[in-house]
Amino acid sequence: MPAPASSALFEQLALPLLPSLYSHAFWLSRNHEEAEDIVQETISKALRAFDSFHAGTNFKAWVFRILRNTFLTSRTAIAASRTVFLEDHPDLLNISDMSPTPEDHLLRLDNQAAMDQALDRLHPQLREVLLLCDVEGLKYKEIALVIDVPIGTVMSRISRARRTLHEHLQKQRGVSL
Amino acid sequence: MTHINAHLGYDQVSAFIDGELSPKETSEVEEHLANCHPCAIRILSATQLKAATRHVSERFVVPPEALSRLTAQLSPEASKKPAGVYTLRSWTWGALAASLILAVSLLGWHATRQSGSLAAELLDQHLAVLSGGSPPEVISSDRHTVKPWFQGKLPFSFNLPDALPAGTTLNGGDLTFLHGQPAALLRFNIGRHQASVFFTQRSRDESEPATSGIQSGFVIQYANTHDLRITAVSDVNPSDLARLMSVLVEAQSPR
Ligand SMILES: [Zn+2]
Repeated sequence: MPAPASSALFEQLALPLLPSLYSHAFWLSRNHEEAEDIVQETISKALRAFDSFHAGTNFKAWVFRILRNTFLTSRTAIAASRTVFLEDHPDLLNISDMSPTPEDHLLRLDNQAAMDQALDRLHPQLREVLLLCDVEGLKYKEIALVIDVPIGTVMSRISRARRTLHEHLQKQRGVSL
Repeated sequence: MTHINAHLGYDQVSAFIDGELSPKETSEVEEHLANCHPCAIRILSATQLKAATRHVSERFVVPPEALSRLTAQLSPEASKKPAGVYTLRSWTWGALAASLILAVSLLGWHATRQSGSLAAELLDQHLAVLSGGSPPEVISSDRHTVKPWFQGKLPFSFNLPDALPAGTTLNGGDLTFLHGQPAALLRFNIGRHQASVFFTQRSRDESEPATSGIQSGFVIQYANTHDLRITAVSDVNPSDLARLMSVLVEAQSPR
């Protein structure tokens, strides 16, 4: 167990992150009960390992890494989708950067349901990096640390995630018109 | 990395809006954007998608009981305080005061968005400023710095007044798009309130009914000059915003 001073510091650092940890755990597991279990376990693990955390490095990235590893050993991940997070999907990730279409236009992003649905349909591996970037505000190098891949992979996943999201939204709009 | 004639790649667009490019790469992209409207639109589109992704997650509500159990696990002491204290911390955006204003106004904002109006777009951009996302591209209270920064980036020019109303300060400016039109976004502080002011070119077919008013608790005011349309949005009281608008309009008239 860390000394009281360090456990107070841990508390101070971790407390504001609880809602983020929970919602990210929910996005990973898609289950409330399990999200809570994952966060609970993450807190225990992180507190025990807190001595190995180096001040000056990003605490949020450090604890999200623990969260992710906790998820990967959880029931849901093992039962269903663990491989989805760990395997490489060359078809999904290494699509060559086709020449961009300058006609790309602004999407109407006023349909919340469509936005929710599009994010939901996104491949979990892509959604994960996108949320770490756009919602949690982590830098690429921090995301690389969290999910344990090279920074270039982070960049291409994020870019791919946005293109896919854009395509989903454009299609949905096509249908609704 | 960037070829003069090639459009920006997808990875480049993404890395640019995430602030992940080196200063050199950033200036290459900016240089391209200054001369390429389609890519500027793509950047804006990507920025909006990023904001929309964030909104999806912000709507996600952590069950309060789960949150208080977790809080108790982490900090047996703190959990004795009202749970509400901790739910407020969940807002990732900066100051507490800003969170409260946003939380309240977002309710109205969602309703407004359904209509997909220009007002919704205005509020969207203004809220993005309030939520403390990024600092303005050009940060200065000096009109001699801000005005030239826009030159060459927009297909029109505008003037800034010599003096602003008492209590009003210029914070800086950004390049943006409003209804697909390139726009200069100027950020002001009026007392403790923030105001976003958009300068756009007046379109030939003035189809947009521009009625000033109050939407979702925000004041929106429009003014036209010979070539420009000026649009302001703020949560300040209407008369203070109108004072700023009138000096801005005044500054456009030829001397
Ligand atoms: Zn281009």
